[in-house]
Amino acid sequence: MPQPTHWKGKELPKVISGLFEVENGHQLEVARAHGAYATIGPKLFDRSQFEVITEVMDSGLRGRGGAGFPTGMKWSFVPRGGKPVYLVVNADEGEPGTFKDRLCMTRDPHLLLEGCICTGYALGVRTAYIYVRGEMLPQIRRLNQALKEAYAAGLLGENIGGSGYSLDIYIHRGAGAYICGEETGLINSLEGFKGQPRLKPPFPAISGAFASPTVVNNVETIMAVPKILMNGAKWYRQWGSDKSPGSKLFTISGDIGRPGVYEVPLGISYLDFFELAGGLQGDLLGCIPGGSSAPVLTAEETAKATMDYESLASLKSMLGSGAVTPFNTTRDPVRILETIARFYAHESCGQCTPCREGTGYVDRIVKKLAAGKGRDGDVELIKDLADRYEWTTICAFAPGAAWPVQSFVTKFRSHFLGYIDKNPEHAAGRDLVAHRPGAFW
Amino acid sequence: VTNPAPAPAVPALITINVDGKDHQVDPNQQLVDALNAIGTYTPTFCYHQDLKVAGNCRICLVETEGPRGFGLGISCHLRPAPGMKVRTPASSDVVKKARKGVMEFLLVNHPLDCPICDKAGECTLQEHYMNSGRHESRLDDDVGKNYKGGADHRFTDSKGDDRGGKSIDLGPTVVLDQERCILCDRCVRFMRDVAGTEQLQLAGRGDHAYITTFPGEKLDHEYDLNVTDICPVGALTGKHFRFQQRVWLLKKVESIAPDDSLGANLTIEYNNGKIWRIMPRRNPGVNKSWISNRTRLEYEKLGANRLIDGRINGAPVSVSAALVAAGKAIGAAKRIALVASGHLTTEDNAAILALADGLGGKAEVFGGSWLAVGKADGIARSGDPVANRKALNLLNIPDNLDTLAERASEFDTLVVFGNDLWAANAAQAAKLETIRERIVLSSWIDASVAKATIAIGIRCWAEVRGTMVNSQGRIQVLNACPVVASDQLEPAWQVACRLASYGGKPIPWIGESDAWKAAVARVPVFTGVTYRSIGPMGLLIQQAPAPAAAAKV
Repeated sequence: MPQPTHWKGKELPKVISGLFEVENGHQLEVARAHGAYATIGPKLFDRSQFEVITEVMDSGLRGRGGAGFPTGMKWSFVPRGGKPVYLVVNADEGEPGTFKDRLCMTRDPHLLLEGCICTGYALGVRTAYIYVRGEMLPQIRRLNQALKEAYAAGLLGENIGGSGYSLDIYIHRGAGAYICGEETGLINSLEGFKGQPRLKPPFPAISGAFASPTVVNNVETIMAVPKILMNGAKWYRQWGSDKSPGSKLFTISGDIGRPGVYEVPLGISYLDFFELAGGLQGDLLGCIPGGSSAPVLTAEETAKATMDYESLASLKSMLGSGAVTPFNTTRDPVRILETIARFYAHESCGQCTPCREGTGYVDRIVKKLAAGKGRDGDVELIKDLADRYEWTTICAFAPGAAWPVQSFVTKFRSHFLGYIDKNPEHAAGRDLVAHRPGAFW
Repeated sequence: VTNPAPAPAVPALITINVDGKDHQVDPNQQLVDALNAIGTYTPTFCYHQDLKVAGNCRICLVETEGPRGFGLGISCHLRPAPGMKVRTPASSDVVKKARKGVMEFLLVNHPLDCPICDKAGECTLQEHYMNSGRHESRLDDDVGKNYKGGADHRFTDSKGDDRGGKSIDLGPTVVLDQERCILCDRCVRFMRDVAGTEQLQLAGRGDHAYITTFPGEKLDHEYDLNVTDICPVGALTGKHFRFQQRVWLLKKVESIAPDDSLGANLTIEYNNGKIWRIMPRRNPGVNKSWISNRTRLEYEKLGANRLIDGRINGAPVSVSAALVAAGKAIGAAKRIALVASGHLTTEDNAAILALADGLGGKAEVFGGSWLAVGKADGIARSGDPVANRKALNLLNIPDNLDTLAERASEFDTLVVFGNDLWAANAAQAAKLETIRERIVLSSWIDASVAKATIAIGIRCWAEVRGTMVNSQGRIQVLNACPVVASDQLEPAWQVACRLASYGGKPIPWIGESDAWKAAVARVPVFTGVTYRSIGPMGLLIQQAPAPAAAAKV
């Protein structure tokens, strides 16, 4: 079904999704006919690296992978003149509910490659890697095809377009771990180590892949760069707010009329977005606003929220990867949390104690509770355990695993208590695993 | 000669603020070490001073002040900085709650088998629980533990319950109990960064992660038993010590590795008249925290095949009878060759020199070894099996066993002190068999004892107090473990004194410190050095350039 082009009389942005509905848009010829690689020429090479970075900084582009860190600022941290700088594109899209990068790579791989060239030029990168999630085989094939075409057309390799700038891009296939989407975990995996996040500092911008300065950016972020360079920062700022400018791809699934990927300007309300995506099915109970890590919103909070970084921060949630999952009153928050808890227990890399043991512990308690064996105090216990692994680990996985737990048991407390009441012995004393100091001696 | 070597310059201290109080600390260490140094107890599991920082156990969390106020950080990864403000559980409820959480998470899947665990008593997890945990369990029986372990090694108990990976044979020396593991990954880092082979690996993810070897591969390395020391729980245990002794019963004596000239620092642990194990003793300048398996298993030789009496022409006699016979032989001898040994302490060798002096012109001292010198491994061995070679050099005892073999016909009596010449080089040693009287002092019934006309048992390295000088030129002290093979045995220096009273000028020494004073009188760089001034970390002396054999490690 074609995407809506207008909403409430305004044209919807097509910054990233411009070629999504063009037939064979992934082929170089077709893409070029629609303006692909227009920046690879004077638009890019006549500017200094500093000017490119400033342009991106002025556009206010923020990282689209989840954390929302200003892209231009990230680039400005990279030291020059020493070790080689690496660009790593994070295409290890794994956040439950998110499937935008997959579509990007399927429909418009050339825009990604063009973005790599622009970014690589700005950062003085000689070698870039695109780390693609292992399961995305069709996308990897398509990227490789695009890469072949780009090399054949002289858009990659030595001396691109006679500019004197050279760039090689390698596609690296991941091995299927959610944690490899974390930038240092990704770098470890890229280097051939186990995909476990690294201690910071040093940050990747100083010492990342192969102990060299490394910039890790999301697919969508990189794809926005050529458009910004082509049309200017001001053009990009026509959408969104001052702190959240531009447009973003949102993926919506759940109780919605037309689940899918939509590019909308930042700052529209969630309720508007639901209408754009075919309307809600049933009565809204709650909504996960930005991927499963983001704290869930109740129906009232969803009605207040707009799709930008500040609004969700004020509701103590986050825009994350832009995976919106509304669910209606026929759904059971306990079952939803059971699924989410199982996911995080399964995907914890096993490095830091609180996350490794805590996510599994919470998973087992929620599972027990959902099986009707809950006891009084379980809800408080779950919340307390999540509090204890929230900010005590190396990477942001543990907070991401704690937020849904904390928000679900707080905001849908009555549902959890209802499950506990199903256990006829819920008020009985806790049957604790024997703990008897001195029992043996 | 400047002696002893000047102490390293006192590092410039900086001021940090811990729990509202200012403290002076050395900036060249991790914050956790600084905190422990100023008496703020900070537990660690994954952190080890001689390994790379991994920062995964999270028990050392503290709050430090940053641009956005106080935030949690791990003190093992932070370094003290001037003016740094640190909050520990003593002043911060956030830290207290976080650490309590870490402790709870560590214990939630840890089996309660301390009563049958070899590590109990020296288990970091147990210690920190008793020091700073002591909370009630919140683990519901319905929730249950997740016993860790790979699919290949699940153990089912007598009730039919899954208990995780238990008693997994990792290789010739180490056994792994995966369900006890707290995944600190110290062993992985040791094998990767120190031993240089990635024989141990973390497999799996989340709370199903476990330590293992590659499929079909074994953990087999000269230093692999060190992983049992650094394991903070009882997951990795050495086959030689499993189910042998409760560790709190063991009494400890500090000594030095006798089989290598680096002189790795170690502790002899004994109980009930038996030495049960040798553990490495941390010395950052020598062996860090590591000892080789060979050194560690030296204790197995201490009770085996010992020469606990004397021999005359192969027939067992008491030690004193053998002594009398040897003394008479020396008294009657015309030309005596005394062979000093780098396997004995400096004191023993000083006694040999004193004996030679008393015998006057008819005695000549030879020294050295025919044992092959290997290469330094960069961890805890220099490769030179002659532990005290440096002291022989300092005492001006020549390295001339080949000369002795050439000139064997000049002598009618040979006295070998703790130096198994026949085992080291049988062909050369055979030339010595032309010497009529061959007196051998040895701790073991070895090849030289078999060739001796008179053999006298002496105490071995673990049973004597004395000093050795390692390949770096560091004087280190051996202490005597009270467990001895036989009451009849005496240290080599004492036997030398007794022989002197028969054949030469009596040596009026009554203790090893007298022998040490004699050594000090002979070696200028020893001047002023006493057992007390050497200290537990040894004392580095400044001296002539090292001979090639004593390679720097």
